[in-house]
Amino acid sequence: MVVSAFRKLVMGLSKATNSVAIGANAAGTLVVLGLVGIVNFDVVARGVFNAPFLGAVEVVQFSMVLIVFLQLPDVVRVNRLTRSDGFLVVIGVKYPRFAASLRHVIDSISAVFMALISIAIWPEFVEMLETRDYFGVPGVFTAPWWPIKLVIFLSATLCTLIFLLKVVRPADKPELVRVPEHEDKT
Amino acid sequence: TETIKAVVIDGYPARALWVKEFSNFFIPEVDKKLAETGNFKMDWQESYGGSIVKPKGVLEGVKLGLGDIGIVTTIFHSSKLPSQAISAVTPFVAADSVAVAKAVDEIAKEFPTMQKEFAKQNQVYLATGVVLDTYQVFSKDPITSSKDIEGSKVAGAGMNLRYLEGINGAAGVRGGLTDFYNMLDTGLVDKAMLWPEAAKTFKIAEVAPHMLAVDLGAVNSKTITVNADYWKSLPDEVKTALQDVALMYRDHVAGIAMERAAASRDAYVAAGGTITEASAEDRAAWAAAMPNIAMEWSANLDGKGEPGTDMLKAYLAKLEAAGYTGVRDWTAE
Amino acid sequence: MSPVEIGMASVAAIVFLIYMGVYIPVALGVVSFVSIWLMRDNFDLAMNLLKIAVGDSVMEYTFATVPLFTFMGLVVSKAGLGSDIYDVMSSGFRRVKGGIGMATVGANAVFAAVTGSSIASASVFSKVSVPQMLRYDYNPRFAVGVVAGSSVLGMIIPPSAMLIIYSFVAEQSVGEMFLAGIVPGLMLAVAYVAAIWFMGRFFPKFVGGRPASDYEFLPWSEIASKTLPTLGLIFVVLGGIYTGWLTPVEAGATGSLVALLIALARRTMTLKTFWEALLETGHITASILFLITAASIYSRMLGLAGLPNELGDLLAGSNASFFMIMVIYVVMMLFLGTLLDTASIILIVVPLFLPLVEPMGLSLVWFGIITVVGAEIGLLTPPLGISCFVIKATLNDDRISLKDVFLGALPFAGVMLVVLILLIRFPALSLAILN
Ligand code: NA
Ligand code: NA
Repeated sequence: MVVSAFRKLVMGLSKATNSVAIGANAAGTLVVLGLVGIVNFDVVARGVFNAPFLGAVEVVQFSMVLIVFLQLPDVVRVNRLTRSDGFLVVIGVKYPRFAASLRHVIDSISAVFMALISIAIWPEFVEMLETRDYFGVPGVFTAPWWPIKLVIFLSATLCTLIFLLKVVRPADKPELVRVPEHEDKT
Repeated sequence: TETIKAVVIDGYPARALWVKEFSNFFIPEVDKKLAETGNFKMDWQESYGGSIVKPKGVLEGVKLGLGDIGIVTTIFHSSKLPSQAISAVTPFVAADSVAVAKAVDEIAKEFPTMQKEFAKQNQVYLATGVVLDTYQVFSKDPITSSKDIEGSKVAGAGMNLRYLEGINGAAGVRGGLTDFYNMLDTGLVDKAMLWPEAAKTFKIAEVAPHMLAVDLGAVNSKTITVNADYWKSLPDEVKTALQDVALMYRDHVAGIAMERAAASRDAYVAAGGTITEASAEDRAAWAAAMPNIAMEWSANLDGKGEPGTDMLKAYLAKLEAAGYTGVRDWTAE
Repeated sequence: MSPVEIGMASVAAIVFLIYMGVYIPVALGVVSFVSIWLMRDNFDLAMNLLKIAVGDSVMEYTFATVPLFTFMGLVVSKAGLGSDIYDVMSSGFRRVKGGIGMATVGANAVFAAVTGSSIASASVFSKVSVPQMLRYDYNPRFAVGVVAGSSVLGMIIPPSAMLIIYSFVAEQSVGEMFLAGIVPGLMLAVAYVAAIWFMGRFFPKFVGGRPASDYEFLPWSEIASKTLPTLGLIFVVLGGIYTGWLTPVEAGATGSLVALLIALARRTMTLKTFWEALLETGHITASILFLITAASIYSRMLGLAGLPNELGDLLAGSNASFFMIMVIYVVMMLFLGTLLDTASIILIVVPLFLPLVEPMGLSLVWFGIITVVGAEIGLLTPPLGISCFVIKATLNDDRISLKDVFLGALPFAGVMLVVLILLIRFPALSLAILN
């Protein structure tokens, strides 16, 4: 009873975090498109209309934070965070149980690390929200700090959750290679 | 003898003027002072060039204790250190690093505002560094007055982009100092605002052989600060030594900046550049056409309950006492 | 523990954790965190290091080159530019022994100029040129080896994600790094072609293959239509950077736009593939930049420990010669290359060696080129060789095992090593174009 209720809870939570991660991922994807747009806008405005967009640098910096931290949870979810798992795969053939527990230990360490980032960033967010600190040049272009800190905080928290759920869920099937989605029209 | 460890941080490399003088002047002078009594000895760890923080990260690095002493580049922190813009918002007054460094340093010590801003960042103000004598306008085409800037694209950075608001149809283009040569070379911009020493370093004479000596003015951009917790832990003797040497460092660095400026102007001419002095009327006209960014600055501080207007007045009075009167009275509406 | 001991212990710990399968950014971050905590006996300081490094490291204007060039590369490969170039090249090389192999190298060199990653090159050319080579009875090992070896060009010839990463760590201009990469990249391509000729001459069995009979000279109009889009894109991107009209970031954005227009004009892009390219760009950007963030935590930890200062003193005190340092550097990169990806190698070794190299008055641009070339040898060496993995996965052919791919790539890894030694010996090869 208790076990199955726990399992249900885990599955439910997994589903929830996964859909948030996928949503954030889609949002981050749109930022990539926005980045292409804004930089081209500046190039054309400057070259053709003699009117450069003076906030281009800040907007680009802002987009980088959004892209990275909106996408990170999904990267964790689909197991594409950089790792070298040859040893895990090899040992998994002979000692599947040991490999599975090793995976759990690794995911737990990762969860702790992401949690530390969340804890470190939270007070920064609060401070930036209170002081309304910005970056850029006043009178030219400025952007507030707090959304950046908030995105990092939320992203790290979501990553923590996803790692934790990886620990309590049965281990994923190990794979040696994650085939990239690059495709050429042949 | 008690040994005290001090981690000094800056994100700029060791070859930068203010960093080099920290190593070659500040540190030996402090050591010399402490050696007089022999009670204390410093164990310096100098971490520059991004080994602990990047140029923009020095303020936060000192705040968080990653460095005990730091060289903060204040122009990156308009929102945390608004009062540091004092010389940037008062162009056309003094093209003299030494005078500006002294005036800013005295304002920092006589008014609580600058120290409060640093205190909020958990650090103690030690000294102001001025590393450039004055911004000038460098041009591809002959330039004899600010009229020649009208309708052109001008490379600049930070607050000096706002000076262009006083020129008809001039568009500021942001760029890093290292990009200016290319920007001018390709015609991406026709003009650039920078100081003679930078012009020499980046061989600007090759691509913009005409300089209008319009003397926009020297700007304070560096502040030496100490982490507040570290400061509290220091014995008085060491504190005094640091403060005394900070004063010497301020004048020393500004003096070197002035020497280099003169040499750089000569080098610019030797490399085929021509320098045209802007007339007094021309400078006055440009200044008059600009928005009063000094008043914007002081009003902003006044609004926060700081003595912005008084600081502005006192600062300009100090420069006047040193022999520098601006072409426009920035304290008047 | 002295700073040097901390540095060595941390590298050992990181290598161990990575070998066990810990995510590389997590390994870097955790080891740095614990090192600071133990070294200064100060948990808050360790937290503060996290605080300052996370976010700060990502907020770098030039980093926008990572998503922009990645996106451009993905669009370009979806638009079929890779196979077009290959068609043209193979019609040119058709009569020579090993000709299709040479054509693959040539096509890779050109394709490299519009893509930022070796992964894209490896997957495109394993589909385009391996089947051709097998059709003409080339040795399968040689066929996959050529693709693996030449895929490396994607990250040496600019634009290149690895040159961008290096320029960030060493604070060098991305534009200069790109320019410096051109000659070494072309040199490597020429060395590969020469090696193929040599193998065809002296080890014909390893190469295999028969002269292609049914290749014809392409009509000029077709050559033009197959090469002009790529050449145009190269012109916009490298031309924009070289003339200073565009910053590398702007060149990436403009290149992406032009690539999209090409794909649209050729009707090779659907809404679905467009979205996939964006999504993939986001994933790659996030994983690279998170890795960079973690590496920046690690390099700042080394800075706090005082390792750069200590190494500098050590160098001043001893007579460690340039030769010795370079030997150690190359060996270390080859060792790490067996199990790490290129970006991780760069991010781990550069902070360790920069303080040794900088005071010797050596050019950091040159150092970047040899770092990138050296680290990329790891793409071809087992047990972890990303290019070989990608080829194996893309081919999905049981007749060709992973071992075949690695063995086939080995001669090309050897050629890389020779080129690396030449680049170290003659810095002008990398720097001449800058002056
Ligand atoms: Na490339
Ligand atoms: Na390898």
